[in-house]
Amino acid sequence: MLVLSVAPQPLRAQTASREYQIKAVFIFNFLQFVEWPSSVFSSDSDPIRIGILGDDPFGSSLDETVQNETIHNRRLVIQRSHRADDLKNCQLIFIAKSENRRVDEILPLLDTRPVLTVSEVDDFARRGGIIAFYPEGKKVRFEINSSMALRHGLKMSSQLLGLGRIVGQNANSGER
Amino acid sequence: MCPPSNLLPFHPASWRFALGVCLLASTLPGASAQDSVTLYKALSMTELMDLEVTSVSRRSEKLSDTASAIQVITEDDIRRSGASSIPEALRLASNLEVAQVSSSQWAISARGFNSSISDKLLVMIDGRTVYTPLYAGVFWDVQDTLLEDVDRIEVISGPGATLWGANAVNGVINITTKEAKDTQGLLLLGGGGTELTGFGGMRYGGTLSPNLHYRIYTKYFDRDSTLRPNGSSGDNNWHMSQSGFRLDWDATAINLITVQGDLYGGRIDQPGPGDTEVTGGNLLGRWTHTFSPDSDLKFQWYYDRTHRNIPNSISEDLGTNDFDLQHHFLVGERHNLVWGLGYRHIDDHVVNPTTFAFLPGDVQLQTFSGFAQDEIALVPDRLTLTLGTKIEHNDYTGWELQPSTRLAWRPIANQTVWGAISRAVRTPSRIDRDFYAPAAPPFTILQGGPGFESEKLLAYELGYRVQPTKRLALSVATFYNDYDDIRSAEQVSPPAVVPVIIGNGLTGHSYGAEFTADYHVTDVWRLQAGYTRVFVHLTPKPGSTDTGAGLSEANDANNQCFLRSSWDLPWHLEFDADLRHVGEIARQHVPAYEELDLRLGWHATDRLELSLVGQNLLDASHPEFGTGAARQEIERGVYAKVVWLY
Repeated sequence: MLVLSVAPQPLRAQTASREYQIKAVFIFNFLQFVEWPSSVFSSDSDPIRIGILGDDPFGSSLDETVQNETIHNRRLVIQRSHRADDLKNCQLIFIAKSENRRVDEILPLLDTRPVLTVSEVDDFARRGGIIAFYPEGKKVRFEINSSMALRHGLKMSSQLLGLGRIVGQNANSGER
Repeated sequence: MCPPSNLLPFHPASWRFALGVCLLASTLPGASAQDSVTLYKALSMTELMDLEVTSVSRRSEKLSDTASAIQVITEDDIRRSGASSIPEALRLASNLEVAQVSSSQWAISARGFNSSISDKLLVMIDGRTVYTPLYAGVFWDVQDTLLEDVDRIEVISGPGATLWGANAVNGVINITTKEAKDTQGLLLLGGGGTELTGFGGMRYGGTLSPNLHYRIYTKYFDRDSTLRPNGSSGDNNWHMSQSGFRLDWDATAINLITVQGDLYGGRIDQPGPGDTEVTGGNLLGRWTHTFSPDSDLKFQWYYDRTHRNIPNSISEDLGTNDFDLQHHFLVGERHNLVWGLGYRHIDDHVVNPTTFAFLPGDVQLQTFSGFAQDEIALVPDRLTLTLGTKIEHNDYTGWELQPSTRLAWRPIANQTVWGAISRAVRTPSRIDRDFYAPAAPPFTILQGGPGFESEKLLAYELGYRVQPTKRLALSVATFYNDYDDIRSAEQVSPPAVVPVIIGNGLTGHSYGAEFTADYHVTDVWRLQAGYTRVFVHLTPKPGSTDTGAGLSEANDANNQCFLRSSWDLPWHLEFDADLRHVGEIARQHVPAYEELDLRLGWHATDRLELSLVGQNLLDASHPEFGTGAARQEIERGVYAKVVWLY
């Protein structure tokens, strides 16, 4: 039978797929397992900023995930942009698939800034990102470039490191 | 199938008399992405990593958002267990009592009160309640779907009546199939073996327009008879076939429409002339509308029709029309409200044999219901209080109120302490009110139950969930249930043993605990364990002349435990083992047993999976439920299966 192919669907706020609902919750969890240098916050009331760079795949699910949440008494806010520069105050930047080709330009802009970079573009952690989602069967997995996290001045809990696949200079587990 | 001598009411054998059809009515599924997100947030990272991402859950997950003894059986759990039917898959929930009665019959309950016509468990498939008003229980032999299409099964032990209504007294089973867009392409499967002698299935999923996905499926199976205690065949070979479809239309970003339906037919051999014949079908429509990220509305309708003809017993035709409305919204920062309305109409038509009867044969019943629940963040992230109640009107007992209160406390990350107090009722079914023997006056054996009232439960629960390390999750749920007005058989003119009339002469309590452990030993090896204890004590109330002491109501093993191993081997092989121990059912003199299921699976290619499954391997045959010479023994079984995806 013929499967009709079609133009991309408009972003649909309420019906983000389960995959992105799950990834939204992963991102929320990452925030709880990472410590930023205290200098990134100018005051106690400063929120933790999550930036989405590129075409937002989450619909409303990331907003729903962080809504009413606090981490270390800080609220969570989401900023969206197609320009990395707009997001330089963010503590976490999610780089959407739409930026796949530009990752190698974007990452140097963030180099050594205290920002946790998360993405699902191919080979993100090996290209200098910190956390990369990858699929394993139908499940969501992630790999961590821990040396890159250090370079950005971030402290990751061992629990998080234990759950992700470690890649980078100090690990050789890229056999898959 | 039910000789008159067996018909003394409240002798367990008589209650097992016929088992008719069914798929019935009511309830509230669906809700928003918000619910899913809230659910996922309650999971540990390890649990998140276990979720499969291919489908969207729109079902209301309020019960799991709050605090309850929930166990979730995933698609992957089902596949790796080698379960070939819904009841077999339910064995994966250690908070359920699951006992196979014969090839096609199962006794399934939670927190005690098991019988082959258990009446305190609510079961739903995609929002459609499947129970028969004959006895308020489930005819498990006609509850099926393509197991490959099941997304997950949530099993909640403990009352869920506030949300789900009468019948959700001791537990709720919520079976959800995948959305059509997650079952695209062609799937073919087939196989056979010694007990599951042959089976096959096909599903095709396609796209009609960018936002309109569908699937169609068909399946069949043949199962061998179980054995009598003397080793001869129980003459209950079983054949079923079923087809169905599902259509999901994301009409606009804020309007989702689902239409789905099934048709089935089958026959079950029985000793003596003729076969039991079952046919039925259902059609369901659901519309979900999102007002805003904080507010959504769901409307659902379904019609369900069943037919069951049991030679020398009853023939039943049942139609159910059910409407359900649910609205969920946030008020301020702290209140998460959900309320709903429901209406159900049942048209039941029974042709009676001469030995017993449901009188009148034809009955129309209506149920009206409404519920409201508020989940209040007393201390955000730390302390959540949930208050709610259901109000339900039925034709037998009028208004029934089923409130509950739940408190969840998360002292630190990865730990939850929860407690709940709930009231639930089991409203009368036809077997309580309309059941007579013989079929015409004078009713010298059983004279119905014109005064039968709802059975009542006040339940106290306390539970704890913890994830001490990233690879280990533990939970314990404890309960004390206080029952009143439990069904009894009252002598009409004591000390004459018969006739009896059905009354509410029993009172009692139950208590127990459910432990689970989930341990990811390594990335490729997972161990799961469950241990459940339950004790039910029933006694006649003053003035009651019941002599059965609940013998027909509760037949439970006081303990059961499970150990399951899932191991990913090299070369795309999977090896799974499932060991279970079920304690003695003392009242039925069913001895304790241990059984082992093994599965070896091979993903030969991305599209081809081969597996070999052994079930109940430790004994040539063993009984799980029932009494006397009619009790059936379940044989060791082996089958092979091929699944091809294209």
